[in-house]
Amino acid sequence: MNDQANFTTRSIQVAFLAIMAGVWYGLTKTGAVTPLFLPPMDIVYATFMRLVQTGQFWSAVRVTLFTIAQAWIIAVVAGLLVAYLVTRSRHWTAVMEPLIASTFAIPLTLLFPVFILFFGIGPASKVAYAATYGFFPVALITIAGLNSVDERYLRAAKSMGASSFDTFRHVLFPAAFPVILTGLRVSFFISFASVLGGETLSSAAGVGKAISLAAELMEPARMYAWIVFVIITAVSLNFIVSAIENRRREY
Amino acid sequence: MTVAAARVPAASTPSFIGGMSRRAKVIWTRRLVLLGLVVAFEIYARFIGNPRLFSPPSAIVYALFDEILVDPRIRGAIYQAFTEVLVAYVMAIIIGLVVGLSVGWSNFGRRSFYPIVILLYAIPQVILLPLFVLTFGIGPACKIAFGVSHGIFPIIVNVVAGMRNVNALYLRSASSMGASNFDLARHVYFPHMVPSLFAGLRLGMTLTLLGVILAELYVSTGGIGYWTKLYAETFDPAPLFALIAVLAVMAILLNELVRIAERRFTRWRN
Amino acid sequence: MSESTPFRAAAAGRPVAISIRNVSQRFGDAGSPNEVVAVDDMSLDVRRGEFVCLLGPSGCGKSTLLNIVGGLFPATDGVVMVGDKPVKGPLPRDISFVFQESTLFPWYTIRENFDVAFKFQNVAKSEWASRTKQALEAVNMGAFIDHYPNQLSVGMRQRVNLARGIALGTDIILMDEPFAALDEQTRMVLGEDLSELLAKTGKTIVFVTHSLAEAVFLSDRIFVMTARPGRIKSIIEVDEPHPRSPDFMLTPKFSELRNQAYALLRDEVRQAIALAREAEAAHA
Repeated sequence: MNDQANFTTRSIQVAFLAIMAGVWYGLTKTGAVTPLFLPPMDIVYATFMRLVQTGQFWSAVRVTLFTIAQAWIIAVVAGLLVAYLVTRSRHWTAVMEPLIASTFAIPLTLLFPVFILFFGIGPASKVAYAATYGFFPVALITIAGLNSVDERYLRAAKSMGASSFDTFRHVLFPAAFPVILTGLRVSFFISFASVLGGETLSSAAGVGKAISLAAELMEPARMYAWIVFVIITAVSLNFIVSAIENRRREY
Repeated sequence: MTVAAARVPAASTPSFIGGMSRRAKVIWTRRLVLLGLVVAFEIYARFIGNPRLFSPPSAIVYALFDEILVDPRIRGAIYQAFTEVLVAYVMAIIIGLVVGLSVGWSNFGRRSFYPIVILLYAIPQVILLPLFVLTFGIGPACKIAFGVSHGIFPIIVNVVAGMRNVNALYLRSASSMGASNFDLARHVYFPHMVPSLFAGLRLGMTLTLLGVILAELYVSTGGIGYWTKLYAETFDPAPLFALIAVLAVMAILLNELVRIAERRFTRWRN
Repeated sequence: MSESTPFRAAAAGRPVAISIRNVSQRFGDAGSPNEVVAVDDMSLDVRRGEFVCLLGPSGCGKSTLLNIVGGLFPATDGVVMVGDKPVKGPLPRDISFVFQESTLFPWYTIRENFDVAFKFQNVAKSEWASRTKQALEAVNMGAFIDHYPNQLSVGMRQRVNLARGIALGTDIILMDEPFAALDEQTRMVLGEDLSELLAKTGKTIVFVTHSLAEAVFLSDRIFVMTARPGRIKSIIEVDEPHPRSPDFMLTPKFSELRNQAYALLRDEVRQAIALAREAEAAHA
C-alpha cells in the first residue's frame, strides 16, 4: 500500500518535470515563443556542450567557486565568534540578538552599491557582500542553539566542577553542534546565492556575470545553458546535503 | 534562555545602570551600542577614512535633506520602489495562500507537490533576473514579478507546514459538538495555521523586499539602481548612504507592520 | 456477552440510554497480516443515569468503542442505539465528549471556547452567556473566563474542559481518560466533583480509564476488557450510591473490588505488553 503511494507521488513528480520539458519543447517547436525568449531545448543543450569545452566556462566557474569559498569561510568564522561572545552573558544575548535579527530582516542587498564603491567590481566586493549575508544565519542560529541547551546539563557540569571553558568545550558546544551545522548549511546556500547575485548585478567575471552578459548580448541559448547549469548544481547540492543530514539523523 | 545567567553573575553588568529593571538595562545597552556605532563611524569617516568612500553620519543626514528628499526624481524612484513592494507583497500573499492551501489540503497533495515546491525554492532565483528583464522589460512589472517570485515560497512552505499536525483531538472534539466542515476550517484549521502563516508572511516580506531591490539595482537605467550606480561610480558616498538609509527605513517599517499584525493575531500563544 | 446483563445497581430498571449490539471494529485490510481487530463483537447496555467504566490495558479498543458510540467513526459491524436512534454520526444534542487532554482550542479564550461549542451545537445565542457562567462556577473556574487556555495549569484546563462537556447539556457524556494527564491529587478532587455531579444531574456517563482506583471510585458498573482483540472479560458491580466521599476509598469493600479488578486485569496487561513487544519486533 505504502509502496504504491510512493510510486504515485514519484510519478507525479516525474510527470511534473516531463510536463515542464514538454511545455518548453512545445512552445519552441510550434513557434509560439520566439527563440529570443526561449530557445529550443536541443539548441540550449548543444550550446552547453560547446560551452563546457571552452576555457571561459571553467574560469568563470573557478572565480565563482573561489568567491563563494572565501565569503563562506569569513561568514562562518565571524558568525561563530560573534555568537560565542554574545552568549557569554544573558544580558548581551538580550541586547544583541534582536539587533542582529532585525538587521537580517532588512534587504542587505541595499549594501551592494556600497561594496562596489569600496571594493570595485572585482571579486572582493562579492566576497564582502556574500560574507555579510552569510554571517547572519551562522550568528543567529548558533546563538539560538547555544541558548537552547538544556540547563540541567550545565548545572550537572557545574556541580562536577567544570570551568567556564570546560562547560563550553564539553557541554555547550557538543549539545549545540547539530544546530550549528544547520547554521553553516543555511549560510552556505545564502553565500552561494549572494555571490551569484552580486556577479549578476555588477561584476567583471564569474557565472553570474556570464548570465547577465549573455542576456545583454542577446544570446539566449548561452544564457539558458548557464541557468540550467546553475539550477542543476544548486538542486544537486541541496539534495546531497539533505541526504547527509538525514543519514546523520538516523544515528 | 536562562543558560547564560547560570554562568555569569548579575554583577557583571555595568554598575551605572544598576538601578534599572533587567529589561530597561537591555534596552538602554542596545541604544548605547547603536549610538556608539554611529559615533565611531562619525569619527572614523571624519578623521581617518578615505572621504571618497566614507561619509560621516552627519554628512549623510545633511545629504538626505539636501539631495535625496528634495529631488523629485529620487523621491519618485523611492515611491515607485515602495509601490512595487506593496503590489508584489499582496500578490505573493494571494498566490502563496492559494498554492499553499491547495498543496497542503490533502496528504496526497503534500506528498506529491510539496517536494516540487521545495525543489523550486532551492534554486538561487537571482540567476533568473536577466530572464525576468527579458520577459517583463525594465519597468515596474519586472520588479514586481521578481519580488513575487521571491515572496511566494516562504508563504507556500509555511502555509503547508501550518496545515500539518492539527491536533486530531481538536477535530474530533469539534465534530462531536456538531461542527460542520466549514466550522472546522474556520475554527480549527485556520487558527492552528495562523502562527505558521505569519512566520511565512514575515519571511515573505523580507524576500519580497529582496526581490524588488535586486531587480531595482539590476536595472540601472532608471529608478533606484540608476542613482546608486551614479553615486558609487562618482565616489559620492553621502547621498548613496542617505538613499540606502531611506530604503532601509522603508524595509524596517514594512517588517514592523507585519510584526504588529502577527502579535495581534497570535496573542493566545503567550 | 449476553444481551441483558443482570445487575443490582441503582440504575437497574431504568430505561436503556445506550445499547451496543455486536459491535466490531477492524483496521487494515480484511484477512491481511496487518489486519487489527480492535473491538470484537461487543454488546452491552448502559442505563439512563448510570456511570459505566470501560477498564482495560492500553490498546484494548476501549477508546475505539467510545468513539464509535459517539459517532466519530463508524463501526465495521454492529449497531449502536442512543435512545431509539441508531448512531450514524456525531449526535451533538445527545452526546458530548471529554477527551484525555483538554480540547479547549488554545487560540480562543475560555469564553470563546464555550461560545464556539454552543455555535457548533446550534444553541440559541441568548443562552450562551448564562450557561457558560453556570458551568464554570460549578467547577470553581468562573474567574478565568477571559483567560487563554495556555494561561491555566493542566488541571485547571481539564476542569474547564469538563465544565464545557457539562455545559453542552447532553444527557450522555463520554469521557476518554479525562484525568490521564493530571497528577494524583487533582484526579481525586475531580473524581469527587464528578461523582457529585452525577448525583445532582443524573447524567449517563461512559468513562474510559486504565486506573483501577478511578474505575472503582466512580463507576456503577465496570466492564473489564481483554487485551486485543477487545472483548468484555467480566463485569464488576459497585453498589454504592453517588455522591461518593473520599472515605469510600478507605473501606474494605473498595479494596476488595479494586483487588478483584486487578486480578482480572493483570493477565490482560501482560498480554498487551507482549503484543506491543511483538509489534515492535515486527517493525525492526
